[in-house]
Amino acid sequence: MNRKIQRKAGAACKQLVLIVMTLIMFFPLFIVFIMGTYYSEDIFKGMPILPGNYFIENLKMVLSKGFLQAFLNSVIVSVFSVLLSVSVSTLIGFGLSKYRFKGKKVILAFVVAVMMIPSQVSLIGYMLEMRKLGLLTTLLPLIFTWAAHPLGAFLMVQFFSDSVPDELLESGRIDGCSEPGLFIRIAVPCIRPGIATLAVLIFLGSWNNYTLPVILINKQELFTIPLMVNTLSNAFRSDYGAIMCALGLSILPMIVLFSLCSKTFIKGISAGAVKG
Amino acid sequence: MKKKSAFKKRNKWPYLFCLPFILAYGIFSLYPMLYSLQLSFFDWNGFGEKVFVGIQNYVTLFTKDPLFLKSLVNTVILMAFSTPITVLLGLGVAYLLFDVGRGKRLYQTVNFFPYITTPVAIGFIFSYLFDWQSGYINKIFTSIGILDEPFFWLGSEIASKVIIVIMVVWRWLGYYMVIYLAAMTALPSDVYEAAAVDGAGKFTIFTKITVPMLKNTTKFLLITSLIGGLQMFEEPKLLFGGWAALGNGQTGGPGYTALTTVWKFYNDAFGLDSRLGYGSAIAYTLFVVIVTFTIVGFRISRGRGDRDE
Repeated sequence: MNRKIQRKAGAACKQLVLIVMTLIMFFPLFIVFIMGTYYSEDIFKGMPILPGNYFIENLKMVLSKGFLQAFLNSVIVSVFSVLLSVSVSTLIGFGLSKYRFKGKKVILAFVVAVMMIPSQVSLIGYMLEMRKLGLLTTLLPLIFTWAAHPLGAFLMVQFFSDSVPDELLESGRIDGCSEPGLFIRIAVPCIRPGIATLAVLIFLGSWNNYTLPVILINKQELFTIPLMVNTLSNAFRSDYGAIMCALGLSILPMIVLFSLCSKTFIKGISAGAVKG
Repeated sequence: MKKKSAFKKRNKWPYLFCLPFILAYGIFSLYPMLYSLQLSFFDWNGFGEKVFVGIQNYVTLFTKDPLFLKSLVNTVILMAFSTPITVLLGLGVAYLLFDVGRGKRLYQTVNFFPYITTPVAIGFIFSYLFDWQSGYINKIFTSIGILDEPFFWLGSEIASKVIIVIMVVWRWLGYYMVIYLAAMTALPSDVYEAAAVDGAGKFTIFTKITVPMLKNTTKFLLITSLIGGLQMFEEPKLLFGGWAALGNGQTGGPGYTALTTVWKFYNDAFGLDSRLGYGSAIAYTLFVVIVTFTIVGFRISRGRGDRDE
């Protein structure tokens, strides 16, 4: 009996700790969403806890500063980054995991080794290269940077090794399927969860990317959300309500997306770690 | 024999499958890297004439630019505090969450939000929270009497560092928690059962069995956070570049206390002077630092791992 009470008290304590912690973790985001609904000057008067009634005005302000354009740019960049990166990673993942060929070990070692190289090392060269190619007036540099993603390639090698049995490919070959056919019709469908996982990772990285756009993009029409929000804050410093509203709008899509498919998300994020 | 010929016939395919990655890596990573390496021996602002200066950039970095060494020290200090705190908290929260039953999914989801939040927003939120006049922290502290008057958090060297550590912990805690949870779920359950039969308490099982079995996960987290931590840039830059820039738009926070190596790199290479050669030299030096730290990290963890296994 005593034990039971003790256990119950323990469980309650646990819940309490978790609730308090979760509230603290959520507090900063909560403030953003709340303050986005206030008139700037009211923000300073007290500590608003309940939503205000100025959201529509703030929203109008944010939209008038090119939020939709930035949102569209972010969507374009992220979607194409995902498509490009996933295709390239899947191809090399299949090649490295399902064939034996000369140079395989070297390529695999190379992929693993370059994961450690910090991005700053190539940043200046990349900027100059893109300038020389005349691509700085387009969104392409923000997409190309995801083309060869070593972590993605490595994850794909793992996924193919784990979930596509060699016998399946062999039987496909006996039935007269070509090698690209094997890849598209047999191997890729087998690792759909793995692909979703990688897609989520790339999307997240691309959507939240700040450093690269800041360096490469200087035309307002090409701004992605992080850049637009950052500029907004510097351009008109007094309108905190609108800034908070813009911040909220930039966080919201990821939160919705994440809440809808948190399983894929979490699997994706822990896949590399638990395996590596 | 037959099998061998079959292999030969499709021999070109693996190469073709690897080709896009190799080409893309060559064009978008390797070439820029080599270009940067070459530039690090030049003095160039991107438009004028390139002047070959040999290893002068590297020499200047270590002898005539005290800010560089300071930025390295700052980075290491910030990392030395944020990494262990995040690892311990992440492990602790994962332990609490592991068999909590009710609300597990909700806790996991909400605690993960900071990780998916745009860094720009994180910078803003924190510089607002710790704002001198209108920030929540000052308002809360003064209203419950901890502080008599608002404290200028972002004007203090130590407080600035503490805030950055809080930002890093806040942003990454959910990630560490999720990784630990995934690893704990993957552990074989019979070990727990055996220990429970032997009468071990829950906490003992956790410290004596679970934590040692999570060794590889911890190793992974420590090494990735080492690599990531040495590249810390967004948190400090956006903390002082956002809200706080309204009052004091200075680089690196008060007394350069928040200037990390990558921030310095960013300023030198992409600031008004645009010293691309010097910036490249910083990037390559940082690269060497990261590789050194990583190798040492691997050595230490492997040395201990061998004895355990």
